[in-house]
Amino acid sequence: MAEPIKAENKTKAVARRDFLTGGAAAVAAGALAATAGGAVASQAAETVPKSQGYIVYDSRLCFGCQSCMYNCSLTHEGVANPSLSRIQIVRDAPSFTKYPLDVVISACRQCVTPLCVQNCPVGAAYIDTANGNIRRINQEKCIGCQTCIKMCPQRPHRTIWNPAKKRSTKCDLCADAPYWSEKGGPDGKQACVEGCAAKALKLVHEAPSQQDVSGYDVNLAPEPKPKTFPKMGASPKQPAAKQEGA
Amino acid sequence: MANGYAGKILRINLSTKEVTTLDTAKYEEFVGGIGMGAALFWEFAVAPGDWDLQDAFDPRNVVSLMAGPFAGTGVPGGGRTSICGIAPEPFPTPLFHRTSMGGRFASMLKLAGWDGVTVQGKADGPVWINIVNDKVTIEDGKSLWGLNTFETQGQITNIVEGRTYRFGEEWLKVGDDFTTMRPQIVCIGPVGEGVTRVAALIHGSGVSARTGGFGGVFGSKNLKAISVIGTGAVQPADPKGLVDARLAHMAGSFRMGAQPGAASCMPCINSDRKRNSYYGGEAMCADEYWSRANGMKGADIAIKWGICTWATKFGGALDMDVKGAPALFKGSVPMEPGIGWYIKYLYDLGVLGPGKKIESYPLPMEQWNTLTFREIFCDAVAHKIGIGADIAEGFLEAVKKWGRLEEDLNSGALRVPAYGAIWHHTLPGVDWAYAYILMSGDPMWHGFFTALSGGGGFGGGSKETAEQQVNKIAAKMPPYDDDPLMLSNCWKGEEARKTGIYSAHKAKMVAWARHYHGFYNESLALCEMLLPNFGGISPDMEHRYYQAVTGTKNTVADAIEIGRKIWNMERAIRVMAGRHRDDEKFAPFMFMPGATFNMSGSKPVYQDGKWDFENQSDLYLDREGVEEFKTHFYALEGWDTSNGWPTRETLEGLGLGKVADVMAGKNRLGKA
Repeated sequence: MAEPIKAENKTKAVARRDFLTGGAAAVAAGALAATAGGAVASQAAETVPKSQGYIVYDSRLCFGCQSCMYNCSLTHEGVANPSLSRIQIVRDAPSFTKYPLDVVISACRQCVTPLCVQNCPVGAAYIDTANGNIRRINQEKCIGCQTCIKMCPQRPHRTIWNPAKKRSTKCDLCADAPYWSEKGGPDGKQACVEGCAAKALKLVHEAPSQQDVSGYDVNLAPEPKPKTFPKMGASPKQPAAKQEGA
Repeated sequence: MANGYAGKILRINLSTKEVTTLDTAKYEEFVGGIGMGAALFWEFAVAPGDWDLQDAFDPRNVVSLMAGPFAGTGVPGGGRTSICGIAPEPFPTPLFHRTSMGGRFASMLKLAGWDGVTVQGKADGPVWINIVNDKVTIEDGKSLWGLNTFETQGQITNIVEGRTYRFGEEWLKVGDDFTTMRPQIVCIGPVGEGVTRVAALIHGSGVSARTGGFGGVFGSKNLKAISVIGTGAVQPADPKGLVDARLAHMAGSFRMGAQPGAASCMPCINSDRKRNSYYGGEAMCADEYWSRANGMKGADIAIKWGICTWATKFGGALDMDVKGAPALFKGSVPMEPGIGWYIKYLYDLGVLGPGKKIESYPLPMEQWNTLTFREIFCDAVAHKIGIGADIAEGFLEAVKKWGRLEEDLNSGALRVPAYGAIWHHTLPGVDWAYAYILMSGDPMWHGFFTALSGGGGFGGGSKETAEQQVNKIAAKMPPYDDDPLMLSNCWKGEEARKTGIYSAHKAKMVAWARHYHGFYNESLALCEMLLPNFGGISPDMEHRYYQAVTGTKNTVADAIEIGRKIWNMERAIRVMAGRHRDDEKFAPFMFMPGATFNMSGSKPVYQDGKWDFENQSDLYLDREGVEEFKTHFYALEGWDTSNGWPTRETLEGLGLGKVADVMAGKNRLGKA
């Protein structure tokens, strides 16, 4: 198992969106923690098998309705509780940041280098090789130490704390969603993706670039511009999904 | 009790600073939303019998902000906040009024463990209410008083969150729990603080409750805002069925102007609301068209000041050449002519302006169509400067003070169908129009407006024949499902009285609409722009959500019957506040050619023994016909046809015997 990442000797330009979403805290702490995962990705990429599924999103297309959050908590926990959703749509209302920075989509990246898995002291966080190498947390084994939460390089962290159960949990691409009628996992359907009326979420099978958020926050607008909400089309300047190694 | 409820209602008395908890189960028979709000109003404002229910600004007024079972469950459009109490805006007297708003307030209330919050009394200085899960405090609001609605919410967010990091970076710890969501806040701006009759409640960057003038009620109570943040859960009866219903809804429905998706009712995929439109883009069409030329920038002004964009409308989305309309419109009838439009009308007439009979100070009338004018307009109203003091008293109150009420009502210049509420898609769909007089103005309900259309309107073109359409829709309307004639919009000749818009058949449709609306839209608190869709998936879709969330075994017919109970509860409040058959009347323009705005397409009509679609852009009402309709309607509802008051038998049949007792005590029961 890899050692916890020491980020101070890693240097890398911080993408603007990274700075606005996660980077600021890391900068304040004197370490580029938010991007460190990306920086070490190439070194550690071979240590664990890559996930065969990734949720990518278009934060410009999203209209912040939280349908994905409700679907996630309903299908996984059987209750409607946005705090237990493994995807978080952080919407700056009523503080009025202007579009497109008013919404931050916080979805688990199924990291190529999964620090949550690599740092779990009891092996509860694991690579589910039977289900397309999804990064998961075994609820039976989890001791609630929150190491996976602390080690998640994203802000806000994508590993979720369940205060009632005192366990960590995370996105499993609906491989184990007891209240989901569909088959989940990397070769199945996800409640968040299916429930998104804006079609701002998508499952892909190739690992997105781990460098910054641009690998995950991609242009999903249909061509030509979406007719149902014409003012909300993604910027043509926004990059298409970058693939790892591309 | 059923699933879908938080289990308790928050009651706050601002006079005594008492914060108490009510058991939701006690009110479960009234479902939620307006149903529960009306029951609470009855209990705390009517039943004590010490108040005549006339003054909306009386500390005894009870204003309730209620969630329904759908809030916080992810039902699309299910997160609406229902608001009721005595509203100051109606003319000639304040009336018991219900309104609602989208956004996340109701959902957050549920996640914090509350099915609603009901406020009575008056604080001795500015306050705001801070709800953090089950911890509720009344906070000093002096530093917020005078701030606009954006500033207010920003300040409260900072106070509640105490954040030291930037937006989007981290989870917020609330007790032992966490959330990435922000506190959801309902507040007033300076127009509400001024205790005017044209103030809205504002939530977020553009959600507003903008009929009734409840912003002034908050102002009268010295209540600047209510903030709530919660980290709990709502337990639906069938989570899997709920998610399945959502997906089926998304796959099976498209209605122009509304699509399923929004878990919390806002933001919405509705064509009016876009994230990038302005400041989060939550503003509604009513706000967007408050300043037609300036779109969302105008809405931004209205929302910050917290003014009712409905009562103060400057004309609405468009003007049209309405066939037969009075010449004074010069071939250009505004879609929604409120105060803003009317002062320009008087200015053009030469009776309003600097030094004119009606002094326009401080309004720069020559800049009427500008943002500057809007700013000054709001400032003048909020602070009651010059003509603003008149406008602050409400639309028709101002007109009355200016001595023009009779003349402009009779000329048709005042397109205010009833109680001073401005024209909305009132005609030719008479079910909408009748709801204006039976309630307290605009019902804000597009139900049949969208469904019964032979082309045009929101419903889009219909490929069905008129007969196919009415048969299909009538079959969805138990217990009146055997009477498709109720859907005939025939307005001419003897047929109009026999089977058309003045008939006993039409009374069934109007009653059913009120019962449906009261249950599904106002009490389950489901967005009425999204559902019903009677041309398509209604009522199966909304009922499927109802079953999945609450676990009910009720049928649609049962739900409509509960709606009837809620409708009678509201009626009882209105009657106790003085409502009489004679009050339920239309403004003169409704009886004049040009009453219909020219955009609603054709309607199904039964005439000469057959069904057909008829273009009704020239429809207007007949006074005697309306009176005949009222008699049919009251009789159908089990109300006294002489005064419109419910009878004891009717109320007892609905399990409202105690309501009947109170009414009997004040001689307000109808005679059988």
